[in-house]
Order: sequence, then structure tokens, then C-alpha cells
Amino acid sequence: MNKTFLKLQAFVRERQGGGAKPPPATIPGTASFAYVFGWVLVFLIGVEGVTGAALAAFYSPSTTDAWASVAFVQDRETWGWLVRGIHAHGGSAIAIGSGLHLVQTALYGAYKRPRELTWWLGILLMILILAWAVTGYVLRWDQAGYWANQVEVGIAAGTPVIGGQIRAIALGGNDYGNLTLTRFYMLHVIALPALTIAGIYLHVKLARRHGTTPYRATTMVTPRWPSQTVKDFVAMAAVFAMLVGYTISQGGVELLAPADPSQAFDARPLWYFRWLYELRHLAGSWEKLAAMLAPAVAGGLLFAVPLIDRGDNSRRRRIAIGAVVGLCAAIAALTMSSVIRDANDDGHTAALAKADLAATRARHLAQQYGVPVTGALDVFHTPPMWQARAIYKTLCASCHDPHEIDRVGPEIAPGHGDRAWLKQFIKDPSSKTNYGKTVLGKGEAAMQPIELSPDDLEDVVEAVYAESGASDVDDAKRAHGKKVFEKMCSDCHSLSEGVAGASGPGLGGYYSRDFLVGFIGNPKSAVHMGPDAEMPRFDKDLTIVERDGLASYLLWLRTASKMDVDSLDPL
Amino acid sequence: MADEPDRRGFLKLTACALGGGLGLAVAGPALRLFVAPAGETTVATPTEPIDVGAAKSFELHKPTKVAVLAPKLTDAWTSARDVVLGAAWVHRTSADKLDVFSAVCPHLGCGIGFDGTHFTCPCHDSAFDLVGARQHGPAKRGLDTLAWKVVDGRLQITWAKYALDTAAKTPA
Repeated sequence: MNKTFLKLQAFVRERQGGGAKPPPATIPGTASFAYVFGWVLVFLIGVEGVTGAALAAFYSPSTTDAWASVAFVQDRETWGWLVRGIHAHGGSAIAIGSGLHLVQTALYGAYKRPRELTWWLGILLMILILAWAVTGYVLRWDQAGYWANQVEVGIAAGTPVIGGQIRAIALGGNDYGNLTLTRFYMLHVIALPALTIAGIYLHVKLARRHGTTPYRATTMVTPRWPSQTVKDFVAMAAVFAMLVGYTISQGGVELLAPADPSQAFDARPLWYFRWLYELRHLAGSWEKLAAMLAPAVAGGLLFAVPLIDRGDNSRRRRIAIGAVVGLCAAIAALTMSSVIRDANDDGHTAALAKADLAATRARHLAQQYGVPVTGALDVFHTPPMWQARAIYKTLCASCHDPHEIDRVGPEIAPGHGDRAWLKQFIKDPSSKTNYGKTVLGKGEAAMQPIELSPDDLEDVVEAVYAESGASDVDDAKRAHGKKVFEKMCSDCHSLSEGVAGASGPGLGGYYSRDFLVGFIGNPKSAVHMGPDAEMPRFDKDLTIVERDGLASYLLWLRTASKMDVDSLDPL
Repeated sequence: MADEPDRRGFLKLTACALGGGLGLAVAGPALRLFVAPAGETTVATPTEPIDVGAAKSFELHKPTKVAVLAPKLTDAWTSARDVVLGAAWVHRTSADKLDVFSAVCPHLGCGIGFDGTHFTCPCHDSAFDLVGARQHGPAKRGLDTLAWKVVDGRLQITWAKYALDTAAKTPA
């Protein structure tokens, strides 16, 4: 080592308080992979801290924005899905790691006097970690997180005497709302980390003071650095590789459709609580008792381990270890049983598939059109012309859609109202796709096919087409067309806006937006189809905005191809 | 001169009292603020009946789920229009009689579905018959009925949430 370094070291040491160098941390016996769990857990909590900080830079804790901000990270930002996936699965890794840490220390008897406090603190930390998971799950405000939280808060609200208070404090008032998210967020990113880190500090300090417990008593001592430290890092690297590998293999972590209080969801708890869920199921009418007793029994059993196994009595030791192993086995068995039950439940599988479909749609729409500030559920209303198309589907399609077998009105398809359509209409107004299926297409009042030379037909079409205000009108053709109209059509129709024809609809302003709004409002008016028209008036059922929306949709449809229609986002 | 035991005791007590008092003085207002919303109506849902559609659209013996939307809702610092509060099951039992049930399961609050013969909860498998009475499962009471009336041919429902997992139907 060179001189400068030694000087620097001496400088720092003096400012640290001088005196003798503290003795290096040691472990009894030799370094072992059995001792890596603690530091792996500290590492994983560090991973959660780093990934969580990155996610917190995007998250917006409000009922309207929460889902949208998570969807943004998940689907729009580079590596967002990866960081979010590592954060979510990292929580699972911590739960598994805590379990292994607990089993290892139990098998090595590391809870025995004088280490009871360390053990109890560890159990407390596990509870904090579970609370961490619960508070995190609801933040995404999707169907899964929202409905799982309903049940969790429902269970907490069932606590005797103070249940109602717990619910009110958890929700931040009388019901789910903005304050629910802000406080779960605060608990998740401030209160629980602070408590957990304080707990870990004490836990590690105590563990260091008492030293590592070897499996068999030994007088040999090895410094932690570097032989144990290397093993710790190897384990951390392996765990992180597994975590990232798993996250990538899963494509991150799920994000379902935005929370919808009107849309039922087959809510299941986070997997750590599956055993309790299954226990409730098995307990039948005793479920509430089971739900309250089981965690108390499990916690009490773990708490009691150092009290059961005292001294050098091998029978007592077997009981203590048996209790820990039995508990773990029971939890594993119940978890498996619940997962298998769901996998075999066709109704549940179908419900999940439906939820996945809604999730895909919501996230696609969010990516495509953004999420309205009015709330994440409104993302379903963002496809172009959504409102008009939804109204069209419920009110208009049954009479006008080409696919409707019982269609009774004129067909409305892409190109409706354009030049080609007008041409075919004039040639055969009472065809099946035109007025053929209506009263207006039958009998004496029906419009008869008009015989025109090809040029005259084209020009009269241009004249009528021009009434919509279209910008691609040929003025010469239109002028000539008007003359043809005067000669051939004006006995029945009129081209003056707002004026009815002598015995047919007025065509002034035909197929303009204003014309369509009026037509949809009251097709039976004299200027349109007259009192015999079968189409009902919609000016009472639809607002002017809705009718205007429909008119815009029809105008879009006029220039659209079938492909344009098919490529619209589904409603 | 060394402090007498009395004096040392007094100083210890004072230090602890000051430290503890200071801690409480800092934490007190913060804690008070944290629990403040618990006693408040932070989410104000309409207490007046909410329109859920034309009464005649509910067919005889065919339970139909309707979304209940608050025309106006205030949620802490925001106000919004047409916010989804939840859902209700509407079951026409005769020409002028309806049963209207909240779709919130009285057990732990999941969304109630209908399987063709029973109202069922997908979370803990409670089942209820067509009049809302509990058939099996962990729920402690039948489905919660909601007040309704028909005004000018429109069905109006009064939305309410009730305490979960209790035998008696009491407001949440």
C-alpha cells in the first residue's frame, strides 16, 4: 500500500475519534451460505427502495389519475414495465426470503437466550413487510388492487369495538376516495419504510452484538470480511438474477383495467395471504373466527418459539422446530389448495379471461388516446366518435346497419350520402338497400327511378352533393346539374334550404351537418320525410350535442371505407 | 462539588419530561391531522334518488344489473359529474313491483353477480335467492335492499352503503 493512502487512512481514523481500530466482525466456524439470508433481505429492501423511488417519480395518488399514471409507466416509459415488475415481484421475493431467513435461524436455534429479542423483532418486521405489500397493492387502483382492498378493509372493519374507526382511518373518511389513496401512499412510501428501516437497524445491531449462531458450537472464528462477504454478494447476485429473470419471463407485472365499483371482480388476496383465504373457505360459518384466530395463532406460535425451547432439552427443541416447520407446511399446503381450486374453477378462469380482455383494451386506449382527466374509467370512452358510435349502436343500428337481419330502414354503410350513393339512389330509390323496406318505398307515394343521360345524372348528383357544403365540388357541373334538377326533380323536391318539396323531402342543405341534426331530431317534419315516415323522432331522447355527434359520425362515414370502419377501436 | 442524588434525580426527570413533551408537541398536531378525515364525510355521495333508466326496460323475472352513477360527487378536494358509485340489481317481480338490491356483498364488499338462479359473490361464494335471502356462504345477512321509486316512468334508486359482515343492516 502506498504512503498517501496510509496517510489518508490515518487522517480519517483520527477524525473518526481515533483510538484503536474496532475489532472486525466475525462469524463462528467458517463462512457459509446459511448466513446469507439477512443481507440478501437488506439488499432486496434496497432494491425496493431504488425501484420504488423511480416509480414514485411518476405516481399520482388520486382516484382519477392513479391508474393512468401506473399505466403510463407500464406501457409508455422505457423500462417502466421492468422497474415496476421488479418492484412488485421484489415484494414477493422479500416475503419468501423472510420465510427462509426465519426457517434458517430456527433450525440453527438462533432464537435461544440471549437472542429472543432479535427473533421477536424479526417477527415484527415480517408483519411490517406484509403491511407494506397490502398498502402497495391498492395503489395501482386497478380491478385487482381495488377489490382486494375492499375485502382487506372489510376484514379490518370487522375488528370488535374499534373496527369502524379502523375503516374510517384507513379510507380517510366515510368511503373510498382520493384520501384513501393519499394515505395508503403515505403509509407505503414514508411510514412503513421508516418503521421497517428502524426495525432492521435494531435487528441487525442486536444480531451483531450476539454474533452469528453456528449449527454446532465451535471455538473457531472467521472474520466476515472477505470470505462471508463474498458469499453474501454471490447470493444477492443470484437472487437479483432470479428476480429480473422471473420479471422478464412474466413480462413485468399485471395491470388490469381501472377500478370500477360497478364491475364485479373475482378478488383474490396477494399470494402471501392465500393461506388465510383458503382457511376462511374451509372454515365455513366459522370463517370469521378462523380469520381472526389463524394469524393470532401463527404469530403467537412464532413468538412462543424461544419460550418453548429453553435450555439444552432436545425434546423441547424438537417441539419448537416442529412448530415452525409445521406452520410453514400448513401455509404452503393451504396456499396450494387455494390456487388449485381456482385453477379448476371454470367460472373463475372465464372471469379472469374477461378481466384480461378489459385490461388489454383499457391499456391500449390509454396508450393511444391518453386517459381523460375526468377519471381512468373514462378511458373506455376515448375511441374516436365513441359517444356517437355508442348511440348509433343502441338506437340506430337495428334499423340501418347492413348486418342486421331484421333491418327495416334504409341501409347506412360507408359511403352513404356520397356521389356514388346518390347515383345508385336516383336509379333505384326503392331498392332493398334504399327505401324498399319502408312504407315510403312502397305504394304510389314512393319515388320512382329517374331516367337520365349519364352526363345529366352525374351533374344532378353533383348539384345535390354540393348542398352538403363539400369542398370538392365541380362548379360547372353543379350549375348544369341545378338546371337538370329544375327540369326533372323540382316537381317533387326543392333545393331551397328549409323549404319542403311539393311532394317529397326538401333537399336544400342536403347531408350538411345541420341538415342531419334536424333530420335525426324529427324525420317526420314536412321538410324531411313527412308524417308517414316510420323513423321516430329523436329530439326528445337525444340532446342536441348527441344528435350533432351522430351527424358528425355520419359525415365521417360518408368518406370512410369499410377498412376505416373496421380499424376503429372497438367500443 | 458532585450533584446530590436529589438534584440528579430532578434533572433526569426534567430532561425526560422535556424530551417527551417536545416529542408529543411535534407529533400531536401531525397525528391529529392524520386521523382528522376519519370523522368526516370526505366522499359526499348524493342522498337524493339517482336515475338509472326507464322503468319499463326492466323485464319481468329477469334480474338486471345497473351501474349507479352519482350525477355530482365531491371527493375531498375534487368535485366531479357522473361518477360510478357501484351497481344495483333490479328484479321486476310483477307489473308494478321491483326488488332493488345493492350489488355490494354484505359479507366483505365484493361485487355480486347473477348465475341465472342465484345472486352470487365471486370472492367467498355466498349465494342469495331471488328475493335476496341468504342461501349459503359466509354472508351474515341477505342482500341489502335499496329504496327506489318510479318518477315519470324513470326508475330512481337511493344509493347507500352498509356495514359489512354484520347480521344487522346498519349504515357504513
